[in-house]
Amino acid sequence: MTTTTSTDVTTLPLTGMGQISFVQSPALAPAVLGSCIGLVLHHRRCGVGILGHIVLPKSEGRTGPPGKFADTAIPHMLELLRNEGAQTAGLTAKMVGGGNMFGNSGPLQIGVANIEAVTELLKKYGVPLRSQSVGGLKGRRLTYNSETGSVQVEIVGEEPFTI
Amino acid sequence: MTASDPILDPTLRILQQLFATATHDASSAMCRWTNGLISLSLDEVREVPLEAVSTEFAIGNDLLTMVVLNLDGEKGGQLILAFDEANGRKLAASLLGREVCTDSEWTPLEESALKETGNILGCAYMNALTRLIDTELVPSPPYFMQDYGASVLEQAVMTQAMTSDNVLVCNTRFQRDDEDLDWSVFFVPTQALRNAMEDALQTSC
Repeated sequence: MTTTTSTDVTTLPLTGMGQISFVQSPALAPAVLGSCIGLVLHHRRCGVGILGHIVLPKSEGRTGPPGKFADTAIPHMLELLRNEGAQTAGLTAKMVGGGNMFGNSGPLQIGVANIEAVTELLKKYGVPLRSQSVGGLKGRRLTYNSETGSVQVEIVGEEPFTI
Repeated sequence: MTASDPILDPTLRILQQLFATATHDASSAMCRWTNGLISLSLDEVREVPLEAVSTEFAIGNDLLTMVVLNLDGEKGGQLILAFDEANGRKLAASLLGREVCTDSEWTPLEESALKETGNILGCAYMNALTRLIDTELVPSPPYFMQDYGASVLEQAVMTQAMTSDNVLVCNTRFQRDDEDLDWSVFFVPTQALRNAMEDALQTSC
């Protein structure tokens, strides 16, 4: 369900694990992240962008929704943008998440692997990483504003900030 | 893709029975701990698509107070006891025999009371499951955290996410004098533990 604020900026539903949300202006796209990566690709001139909620670093032949694995999510996100006229050359990236709430125990240390995979793939596809808020022991809530390209990050116990 | 209906899916139905037994034991332990105030009586075993983990369990994207116990090892998982701030504070006050604290920071004593609650619940659950599936499950010491519930649940389902696009989450809710409380216990097994539970149930049928 979308909601509309009094300034006519639509707030999209949460982008869940493995999902990709194409975001046209003016809109806000939220996601809540633990060890997953919230990757925003924004095209300033076209005023559009895309938010991917990436769960795991590599597909290694596994099937699943394209947004689930970094190595399927990023090419898919780029293709969706190209289909809307937003070429890769005009894109910048912002990355959020990759935390580890369970410290040294718990299921895998997947946050670090996700950060590394996304960083490498952005280099491979020639998309500059403009800014990031990653790692640590806390979850994050992100809100991407497709009109400005800004990404607001909220971490428990800290003041919200924008990257 | 939608969540599996536990009533229709035979494996989920059997797992529901297994968790109902474990919940009964945990409820007895909780009753003793809270002098009869709190019981656990509702539980559901659900398999949901990954993208619905944040939204299917009514934890929203808000801050929660949680006590987490890890089950280390391949056949492991997480037990997450979750409240909103107000309910967590009320429980701590009730256990300590004090007025509800209004300071923004939790005191070590309040945290300790909640951690002990998690410990009691976790051990009761794990003892019951150990008995039922004949696999030893030993929870870690509990730890207290405040974070977005969706973030924590998201990481807990990670080993299942490696091999499946649907994940199994067991959710138990609490009651006080027939009134539902806004607390939850989530048990998220690793894929290996999930396989072991299903194998044990197949053998016993």
